[in-house]
Amino acid sequence: MNPQKAVLFIGSPKGESASEALGVYLLDKLKEKGLSTDKIKIDKLVSTERGQLELFDAVNQADIIIFSCPLYADSPPAPVIKAMELITENRKGKGKESRQKFIAISNCGFPEAFHNQTALEIYREFASEAGFKWLGGLALGCGPAIQGRELTKAGGMAKNIMKSLDTAANDIVEKEALSQEAVDLMARPLVPVWMYLHFAGFGWKRQAKKHGVSRRINDCPYE
Amino acid sequence: MKAVILNGGKENDLSITEVLGAIVKELEAIGAEIKTFDLRDMKISRCLGCFNCWVKTPGVCIIDDDGRMLAKEVIQSDMVIFLTPVVFGGYSPELKMAVDRLIPLISPFFMKIQGEVHHKARYKHYPSLVGIRILPENDQNNEKIFKTLVNKNAVNLHNPSWVSCVLSSNRPAEQIRQQIKESFAKVGVIE
Repeated sequence: MNPQKAVLFIGSPKGESASEALGVYLLDKLKEKGLSTDKIKIDKLVSTERGQLELFDAVNQADIIIFSCPLYADSPPAPVIKAMELITENRKGKGKESRQKFIAISNCGFPEAFHNQTALEIYREFASEAGFKWLGGLALGCGPAIQGRELTKAGGMAKNIMKSLDTAANDIVEKEALSQEAVDLMARPLVPVWMYLHFAGFGWKRQAKKHGVSRRINDCPYE
Repeated sequence: MKAVILNGGKENDLSITEVLGAIVKELEAIGAEIKTFDLRDMKISRCLGCFNCWVKTPGVCIIDDDGRMLAKEVIQSDMVIFLTPVVFGGYSPELKMAVDRLIPLISPFFMKIQGEVHHKARYKHYPSLVGIRILPENDQNNEKIFKTLVNKNAVNLHNPSWVSCVLSSNRPAEQIRQQIKESFAKVGVIE
């Protein structure tokens, strides 16, 4: 019997991203449990017919579908919504008896994880309309603090994230839903809120200085 | 009063076209200057998530396309209307592509609003936000997602007033007009 296959769909347009780091760690844990794995980036696939076929093929081959995406304007990025729309359309008429499982991981640049809640509800709605079994969603705040690094190289701040994903990997293989423990561990702030705000503000100023626009960072060009 | 309509409808979606017509009529009745953008026909690239609009070209997206132009139109308006069919409870990808490109309008720096962390405003004046979605049939869960999403967008985009409105295209035209009027009253553009 072939092993089950887990496919990670990455929703960030960036080369290295928190979305990919989170998803790849989970894939590695599933691989350790004997699953075969694959990963795919969503954003460039939706705009071409060939890319869309690749997207449908990846969905059809998966027993476990994992979406790991950043939060853009309080919801999934536009190309991810387009991908979900295309997948749902492609599955119409194929029945809703699918045994394929779906989980979503949403990360945001705010320190609090709860900002991801609406996005997770949208992913759940997608799972329902496309006929996947919704296992649950994980929400992470302070996403940029990971800086796209592998979680094992991100230091102590990633400890709870890794614990959450270890638990999630067990849940995916052994249970029918993500456990509250996995959800709670992922939602814990990586660093204290005041510290995150301090370093984020410092980081924006440093980048603006690098580009020679320190004095223009608060410009209102359309006023 | 300047009103910008971001139409996230699909091609040949008659229900959106009907509702759009009703919105324009109501805006004309109050003498508004109206700009309607059919997003599906426009050149709007995806947001790259690069934040260069905050740290390299402050307030301006580095991508020179219709998405950049829309951000300017939105901030220079008094009311922006997000018009969309229902897509998993939220916005259509066409509308979302434009909304994702509005982040140059806010500051990278953080502030607290009612105990939650949000980005600071970049401008002194922001338009009111009216979110209108066209629903083929009533679905309470979807309605909750949409309302929450418009509310969250309004807080993050510093819209001084906002309302979400669910319109069923199979309702009588008079009822649709009345709902649109009530939405405009809620954001204070009519009494």
